[in-house]
Amino acid sequence: MKVLGRQTVSLLLATTMLAGVLAGCTRPADEPTAPPKGNGEGSPEPITLRMTVWGAPDELAAYKVAIDRFEKEFSHITVDLQHIATDYDTKLTTMVAGNDVPDIAMMESGTITFPLAEEGKFHNLQEFLDNDPNLSLDDLVPNLLYSLEPGHVIGIAPGPESFGLFYNEAMFADAGVEPPPSKASEAWTWDEFVETAKQMTLDTKGRNASDPDFDAKNIKQYGINFPTWWGGYSNFIYSNGGDFVSEDGQTFALNQPEAVEVFQNIADLINVHHVAPSPVQAKNIPATNVALQTKKVAMVIDGQWASTALAQSNFDYNVGVLPVMKQPMTTIVCGMFSMFKSTKYPQESWELMKYLIDPESSIDMITVGTWMPAYKSWYTEPELLARWTQNLPARPSGYKEAIIDVLLESSHQTPTGYVKNFSKIMDIVSPALDKVWLGQQSAQEALDAVAEKAQAQVQGRRNLE
Amino acid sequence: MRKGLFYGLLFTAPAIVGFLLFTLGPMIASLALSLTDYNVFKAQTAWVGLDNYIRLFGGEDELFYQSLGVTFYFVLLRVPAVIIISFAVALLLNMNVRGKSIFRTIIYLPSIVPAVASAMIWMWLLNPDLGLLNSALSAVGLPTSNWLYAENSVVPSVVLTTLWGIGGTVIIFLAGLSGIPKQYYEAIDVDGGGWYSKLRHITIPMVTPTIFFNTIMTIIGSFQVFNEAYILTEGGPNNRSLFYVFYLWRTGFRDTEMGYASALAWVLFVIILFFTYLTFRSSKSWVYYEGGGRS
Amino acid sequence: MRTSRPAMALGYVALLVVSALFLTPFVWLIRSSLMDLSQIFTMPPEWIPRPFQWGNFHKALTYLPFGAYFLNTSIIVIGTLVGTVLTSTIAAFGFSRIQWKGRDLVFAILLSSMMLPTAVTLIPSFLGWQMLGFYDTYYPLIVPAFFGGGMFNIFLLRQFYLTIPRDFDEAAVVDGAGYFTIYFKIILPLSRSAVIVVALFTFLGTWNDFMGPLIYLKSDQLFTLALGLQMFQGTYTAQWDLLMAASAAVVLPCVIVFLVGQRYFLEGITLTGLKG
Repeated sequence: MKVLGRQTVSLLLATTMLAGVLAGCTRPADEPTAPPKGNGEGSPEPITLRMTVWGAPDELAAYKVAIDRFEKEFSHITVDLQHIATDYDTKLTTMVAGNDVPDIAMMESGTITFPLAEEGKFHNLQEFLDNDPNLSLDDLVPNLLYSLEPGHVIGIAPGPESFGLFYNEAMFADAGVEPPPSKASEAWTWDEFVETAKQMTLDTKGRNASDPDFDAKNIKQYGINFPTWWGGYSNFIYSNGGDFVSEDGQTFALNQPEAVEVFQNIADLINVHHVAPSPVQAKNIPATNVALQTKKVAMVIDGQWASTALAQSNFDYNVGVLPVMKQPMTTIVCGMFSMFKSTKYPQESWELMKYLIDPESSIDMITVGTWMPAYKSWYTEPELLARWTQNLPARPSGYKEAIIDVLLESSHQTPTGYVKNFSKIMDIVSPALDKVWLGQQSAQEALDAVAEKAQAQVQGRRNLE
Repeated sequence: MRKGLFYGLLFTAPAIVGFLLFTLGPMIASLALSLTDYNVFKAQTAWVGLDNYIRLFGGEDELFYQSLGVTFYFVLLRVPAVIIISFAVALLLNMNVRGKSIFRTIIYLPSIVPAVASAMIWMWLLNPDLGLLNSALSAVGLPTSNWLYAENSVVPSVVLTTLWGIGGTVIIFLAGLSGIPKQYYEAIDVDGGGWYSKLRHITIPMVTPTIFFNTIMTIIGSFQVFNEAYILTEGGPNNRSLFYVFYLWRTGFRDTEMGYASALAWVLFVIILFFTYLTFRSSKSWVYYEGGGRS
Repeated sequence: MRTSRPAMALGYVALLVVSALFLTPFVWLIRSSLMDLSQIFTMPPEWIPRPFQWGNFHKALTYLPFGAYFLNTSIIVIGTLVGTVLTSTIAAFGFSRIQWKGRDLVFAILLSSMMLPTAVTLIPSFLGWQMLGFYDTYYPLIVPAFFGGGMFNIFLLRQFYLTIPRDFDEAAVVDGAGYFTIYFKIILPLSRSAVIVVALFTFLGTWNDFMGPLIYLKSDQLFTLALGLQMFQGTYTAQWDLLMAASAAVVLPCVIVFLVGQRYFLEGITLTGLKG
């Protein structure tokens, strides 16, 4: 079996395109990244670093602030910010194939990041963290790092995102129903949660869902809008003591009682209690704030990034702590910055990374509600905390207890960070879950039916100590 | 005829050269890749011969047959719908009425409006609980549907959402209709025939070359449907809208298994080629070229 | 086509109904472009902005360098238009009006290029252009237009040419005309509708293409309008009000070009007067 190296393949592909006709007419190939040879910090020779990001202009503005501060400190370095507007994975994959990779890339854990990491494309940031005089692991909020295996860090997030129970205060006041608590210690049990959702679900005649005459075919207001993607339900699986794979990482675990209970509970919200609308996929639509604002839904479970749109919506909203199965829990989801091993300036790139995760650089995105800071000190020290939570429309009264405290005390890493082969496993699980949400099968049946195929895709976990 | 050969090649030279330079190479490259286990990120690539194809047809990959079935279903529904509706709309737009320019532009608008606008409207129309279509249906006592969110209705619903984009097909029909000489219609008038006669004996036969073109293009395009899966359904529910090219793209760019994805691509290529060939063969019996045909 | 009064009236009503349906996305786009973010996604939709956010347009178009994007897109579009109209018409002529050995086989082979999903030729094509040194330039986007401009156009034109009666060619040959004369003086004018369609589609396709620029461009000063529109997407959400305003602005030239272009569709050629 003949084996070809990567360079050979690239060359083969490129040459076949010309079909030999242009053999004599090639222009000398441009060097895609041609920084002059520098030799580390303190060198006066000008250096260019390249980083790729995605994001809307306001997010880019935050990166640009970081870059400006960085360039002021390191005046011999220029940063070339390359914005990949859409189809990030496709573009980055093409760049990797063409050996045109940046020094730093923003990455997202669910798709091509770990495949790249497994081929050794990224630097191990643990080494940088260990050697850095100013920044250490303890300075960061928990679950902010992505590791290939313990000790091998491939990405650091600029800030965490967690989940909360957002609600419309006016609707609760009008109905005379107790709104969701914000303290984790006072969190609702699942049953209490369902009970409240029923009271807040109304049919066109004004009857709520606890009423025996409730007309499930003519609902004008739902109690809760529940996300059916893995980010949403993972909170509850962890809260219930379950997981996606077993502790040793060898066995598929979503058909275990802890996870099954969660799936069934969610499906029952839709099909049995009629307090949640059918799950509709809505990529990037600010459904949360609109649903709450227009009083179509009384409560919504969503990522805290929803705060931005909610803040701009001019109605009284607040956030409570998620209902608890066994323990309070929130999943942390976030992107990350990774450093390509092919970089000519690892040390400089590391310095840039520090500026990118420094909350001072992204203060605007943090105050408007979209991001949260990466440094623990910003959560624990009162003046820093005040800077991004006091008197801001994006941080209502429940925010500190419901979001911040839970994040610090009871948070869990996103499954994409430690479940190997996550996408392929979910390719099998999600279609099965579709049937559960639609009420066609019970959660236990659906997951047992795919357990074997899912098991075949399980390849272990990354966080085995 | 030597002179014919010389001029024939001369006129088609840019197209042929372009094909050789820009298209043939990548096509051969992808064919070669389909015989390897090429993964964009891995350092080594090995020849695996026909292993990818065996894996496809051998049943190990059930998503292959699933996506093929889903796509066939889609093509079967969409091609007749598009051709018939586009033709009907083109006939309407061909009428000599006031403001026909405006009407024509309006029909074409959804094709150039950003996909997200159309997607949003459909999400509103087809929302099972709050959407317009279901509200309208239940208001008149008809059964509602879950549209995009139920296994049995997702493919027809997707076909429905694509019907907005028929603008291009309609325009091509319009161009075809515009080439029919007025005298032919006048001849029918003289004979005392009505609009049906004109349609059946003049319009449709004269427009068969355009029908032929639109049919082939719609077949080729429908087999390669992608955006609807990517934006609207993500292949669900339960993989019932896992269109072939979406599955292919996911394999090649999310899982970075480019070799396997290339094999998928070439299987589709053969299928499309086959159906195109069938349509070409059948064209001899129903397509009328006033210029005397292809020979 | 003379149709009876009631048929016309019925047709007109049908036209109105269909147009109303097809107008919805465009109306949605325009009303969203003038709305506040909080109003855009209300369900059921509100059709009148309250208040009218005219500022959206200014904000959106200055957020990103849309002026530069407009110039860039224009360059690419003009290049592609010229190349496509030129080479697709002569290629289609060669495939339909000249008899030569192997003609139909060559046509079939070229046509087959449309049958392979571009996802798998993306990387090889990119690598090829990169090796030529044209990464981050407009060459990959414009040069192929001068080499046929795509089988879609060639196939379309071929179909139209085949409907033109042979008598014209034969008469011209008798008069001593060569192929180029036939192409230029007879076929091209008679297929005006189809050529306009090709030009329109090329304009619209290139104007709205973001995949090509995404893959082949790197420096943001080279970016195009379509790429610029994609830039309003954020990580978790998009700036919809600005995106809609920018989209409306970008769509406007297309609408104008289309309105103007479709006026030139021939309304049934009368063949008398073209003899000789």
